[in-house]
Amino acid sequence: MKERFQSLMPKDAPPPGACVRIERPEPGLARLVLDPPHRKLAVLDVALMQDLERALDALSGDSGLVALVITGREPTSFAAGADIDALTSIDDAAFALELGRYGQGVFEKLARLKAFKVAAVGGPVPGGAFELALACDRIVLADHPSTKIGLPEVLLGILPGWGGSQRLPRRIGVPAALEAILAGRLFDARRALRLGLVDRLTWPEYLLRVASDIAMGRLRAPRYDRGAWKWLVDKNPLARALIRRKVLQEVRAKTRGHYPAPLEVIPLILAAPSTPLEVGLEHEAAALSRLMVSPVCKNLVSIFRLSEDAKRLGKLPGGGEAPKLVRVGVVGAGVMGAGIATVAAQKGLWTRLSDVDRAPLDRALHAHRANVKKDAARRRLAPHEIDAALDRLDAGVGLAGLSGSEIVIEAVAERLEVKLAVFGELARRLSPRAILATNTSSLSVDALAERLPHPERVVGMHFFNPVPQMPLVEVVRGARTSDEVVHAVARLALSLGKTPVITRDTAGFVVNRLLGPYLDEAARLFDAGVEVQEVDRVAKDFGLPMGPLELLDEVGLDIAAHAAESLQRAFGERMASSELLGRMLAAGLKGKKGGAGFYLHGEKQRVVNPDLARLRSAAGNVRHEFPEAAIFDHLLMAMLNEAALALEERVVAGPRELDLATVFGMGFPPFHGGLLRWADTLGPREVLGRILRLSASPAILSRPGGVARFKPAPLLRRVAEASGKFHAVEAEAPPR
Amino acid sequence: MIFAPSDLDREGPPEKRRAEPDAAPQGSAPGPADANGQAPAPSEQPQPTIGEPAHGVLPGQAPEAAPAPGRAPAVHVSRPSSRCVIAAGLRLPQARAGGLYRRENAAHLGAVAARELLAQSGVPAGALHEVLVGCVGQPHDQANVGRVLALRAGVPERVPARTLGRNCASGMDAVTTACTLIEAGRGDLFLCVGVEVMSQYPLTFGPGMTSLFERLSRARSPLERLAALASFRPSFLKPRVALMEGLTDPVTGLIMGRTAELLARDFGISREASDRFACESHLRAAKARDSGRLAREIVPHLPLGAKDGQAALVHDDGIRDGQSMESLAKLKPYFEKPDGIVTVGNSCGITDGATALLVASAERAADLGLEPLAEIRSWAWAGLDPARMGLGPVFAGALALEQAGLTLAEMAVVELNEAFAAQVLACQAAFASDRFAAEHLGRATRVGELDPARLNPNGGAIALGHPVGASGARLLLTAAHELAVRGERFGLATLCIGGGQGGAVVLERRQS
Repeated sequence: MKERFQSLMPKDAPPPGACVRIERPEPGLARLVLDPPHRKLAVLDVALMQDLERALDALSGDSGLVALVITGREPTSFAAGADIDALTSIDDAAFALELGRYGQGVFEKLARLKAFKVAAVGGPVPGGAFELALACDRIVLADHPSTKIGLPEVLLGILPGWGGSQRLPRRIGVPAALEAILAGRLFDARRALRLGLVDRLTWPEYLLRVASDIAMGRLRAPRYDRGAWKWLVDKNPLARALIRRKVLQEVRAKTRGHYPAPLEVIPLILAAPSTPLEVGLEHEAAALSRLMVSPVCKNLVSIFRLSEDAKRLGKLPGGGEAPKLVRVGVVGAGVMGAGIATVAAQKGLWTRLSDVDRAPLDRALHAHRANVKKDAARRRLAPHEIDAALDRLDAGVGLAGLSGSEIVIEAVAERLEVKLAVFGELARRLSPRAILATNTSSLSVDALAERLPHPERVVGMHFFNPVPQMPLVEVVRGARTSDEVVHAVARLALSLGKTPVITRDTAGFVVNRLLGPYLDEAARLFDAGVEVQEVDRVAKDFGLPMGPLELLDEVGLDIAAHAAESLQRAFGERMASSELLGRMLAAGLKGKKGGAGFYLHGEKQRVVNPDLARLRSAAGNVRHEFPEAAIFDHLLMAMLNEAALALEERVVAGPRELDLATVFGMGFPPFHGGLLRWADTLGPREVLGRILRLSASPAILSRPGGVARFKPAPLLRRVAEASGKFHAVEAEAPPR
Repeated sequence: MIFAPSDLDREGPPEKRRAEPDAAPQGSAPGPADANGQAPAPSEQPQPTIGEPAHGVLPGQAPEAAPAPGRAPAVHVSRPSSRCVIAAGLRLPQARAGGLYRRENAAHLGAVAARELLAQSGVPAGALHEVLVGCVGQPHDQANVGRVLALRAGVPERVPARTLGRNCASGMDAVTTACTLIEAGRGDLFLCVGVEVMSQYPLTFGPGMTSLFERLSRARSPLERLAALASFRPSFLKPRVALMEGLTDPVTGLIMGRTAELLARDFGISREASDRFACESHLRAAKARDSGRLAREIVPHLPLGAKDGQAALVHDDGIRDGQSMESLAKLKPYFEKPDGIVTVGNSCGITDGATALLVASAERAADLGLEPLAEIRSWAWAGLDPARMGLGPVFAGALALEQAGLTLAEMAVVELNEAFAAQVLACQAAFASDRFAAEHLGRATRVGELDPARLNPNGGAIALGHPVGASGARLLLTAAHELAVRGERFGLATLCIGGGQGGAVVLERRQS
């Protein structure tokens, strides 16, 4: 086993003993400092865990030891948790079990050490780092904005497997532990104290002193105690049974059975208060080993890595931070503009929204105030924080008030001449260094930049609707856009809480381009006789958050038709859209905003639109039996083939970026790891086979458009024929 | 489109971190206003622009704002200038107190006006030397409301701010203070705001209740606590109304309306004359509103607390369309019954509002590429009998005109604040009286005739309202715009001040 552990050792690991330092600040007190030389922020990798074990062994023989403080190299730098990459590289459940037991064992050594143990932590304390602290008698936490503490393992498809699922419920009770572990939330310092995650807060500057004083008994710090609730709830089988039923119901509804981790962790937490720790730990290790080798876990970790990598886009390629933009102008107070403005203002940027009319500005201000109010209630904002969020947004008619903006994002009507006029006027008014960004989804950034004096300052910044909820921003690099501008905009997107992906200036960028054939196939399937709910159900069973026809209603059929048109202009026949959409629009059906589309959208409920059948083409009203697998292939293979084309054209840098865009931009099931990762799991050879079958099917060959979308992409052929993987396709420098 | 996979929403709520109001290096704020015409790249060290204030910056406090290495921050002294201009200005619509702005507060309302002015003028807030704010009733939870307002408007932390109080003239005081500083060479660009939210004036407990609370908090035993509670009298619950007490002169004990009654008796001003003046004020204001004249100086405002779907307020809401002598005649005297002549109809209303002005040296305004609304030719403050405070404009107006070397007849526009119709008419009489000039102004002859056509041509406070801290600035803004509209050169803005003072500013508009 030891040799196998060595295989997980980081390549740059220092010699044994270098990661954990024992200090003796005063008689009777030892201080363990996690200070691995090979990491900027300590990670509980094999090197560090083995050193921690050594240190604990050394201390256990020390009879003069009274108290122990365990801390990081700085008050706000403790550890980033377990070595996720190493853990998820394991495919062997027996080894995974061993590894879980090993971690538990080290923390048990700490817990059993004959001394009063205080964890002095701060900054990020996620996962394993928090579990280490939980093994101590008291936890003192640094009150600092960077402090984030919690057990986010479930979000990565695993569970807190080094005692966390057992020690947290014992500490804070079953209901709170369920909430914290299932949501995987990281809490700020004040909330952590309120929930009982820690026993004491202090300023980072005082952290070591306070922890030492508590450890040596000079300062009283009672352990968090729930009093009677412990007996009424945690130790009460009836209460636990009720909680169990409710939580399982909620989790099943939310995960639709796609995520095993919550279902594994719930019984562990519920049983914790009435199980001996050793038994609980044994169950925990077993559950962890099952989850660790599951594909869901690997896929979720992959998505996590992709989004972490996207955070680097805020830096310039040569290193160094991209310019920080804090004065933001937004032109056009429609749904998109208002959404961008409210997000920017709530994130603390000085934001000014402009429109040609006053009425949309008033609507946007109302919406902003409602958002702030909701946020204030949810996050218990103090009055001054509410004021700040309200103050950050102002609105005015005309472009005159935007001259001080460092960036202006236009979200006006999708017409080239309108956008050109806005950019022309802005270029005259703004500093030549200000960035002009367009939220266009169907026009070319280059066409907008062409006649401007500083085309290198023009960039696309494509948000998705609804802006406050959608996590992706496509940063569109025009042919002449400068690196500095691209990364400044990526940094801005990050500061808005969004994940940026850099794309080339081609029609539909990446997300809408992939959605184009997928949504159109859905419309064609309905037109050919498949029921609305059937189409949507297949997509949702796969794990998509909503079906394609629901999505069309949500987006608006007019908007979808407009987007399809621009795709068809750029890519020709393979993007030709079904005539059904035109018939629906002619019949006045616009989707959710108009109250009717594929569904009728009532106040409370939604039903399939019964009038739709008569809009079907003749063939569709003859009932066709479409097997579920055929429906699925129509939808997903159309998207996948387009993805292969987009990847070959380098619309994004590589397969990883494409996967990130599908998960964050269209809600592609995260547990599948993204479109291409899913295709790799399925096997590109299998994908090619299915696409070839579709391309030869009479239903497709005989239809009036969209035939070429099942002509296998050359890249797909190459990858399939070489028995390769999409993810082996090399990423190229950010595309231009 | 589509939703965030909720399970991936691992961030939890965004941290409660407030962005630094001046997190951007000043130099990186692009804008045509960068005096030297080259805004440094955000990544570069900011270059101090001409006249960039550097005082108040502690090393390390605002690293981005720190001067380039090797360049010591110098206390800014600009060239003394004898020419001060109102470089730009605007105001929010004024709303009757207890009405549309009842959920506003002074810092927010003022900040909205200030932010709008900075945005529209394109002046980077970091170029300001100080923010000067006139406000009479400072909210108890916004001490030095000027500073609160400045920060909430996005003015960088390093720019200082203060609140000035000269009662009804506080907004005008902000402007003349800026002029004093410019003339002394202590800066050349100031943001002056007048703001008042009279809706939010509090009701307070009287001394009886206050001492009860004191005894309660000091009580050590239940018995003492009981004794404290036993001292309660129902009369303790009678609130003290800050609005009424604030409008009462504590030296003479007269509420403002009664000082107007005194002037009416002194100058023989009738109820009918008062009502006629008030009626005319409404008619003129309505006309100015309908012709778009008032919209020149107003930016719409969607007040805090506006109901969903409610539109922004576009105009002052105190203007009564079709105000008539008949309806005014029906009102009873408010302050002195039964023989008084001052009614709520011929007095100004209790109002909320905010006006923001950029005051700069003529040179700085030119550097910033701003075409001034008007130049401040002269100004004066004067003191007089608090019981007759309404005559303040006569005392101050005479002084300001004398300083400017101009006569009242040369004033194409006179904006004289309409605290009360009787008070304005008394001023008109006093301006035209040789005897008054001799007895009170130390002048051989009267100041001059005040032509009614030039007096408040767009109506005044009786129709538009009198948000006390804002009015002084509002008069300057309105007068400056009126000069532009009429293509005239000289104007006078003046007002009476509770406590027995007057303030007056002579404006000059140079033909471009």
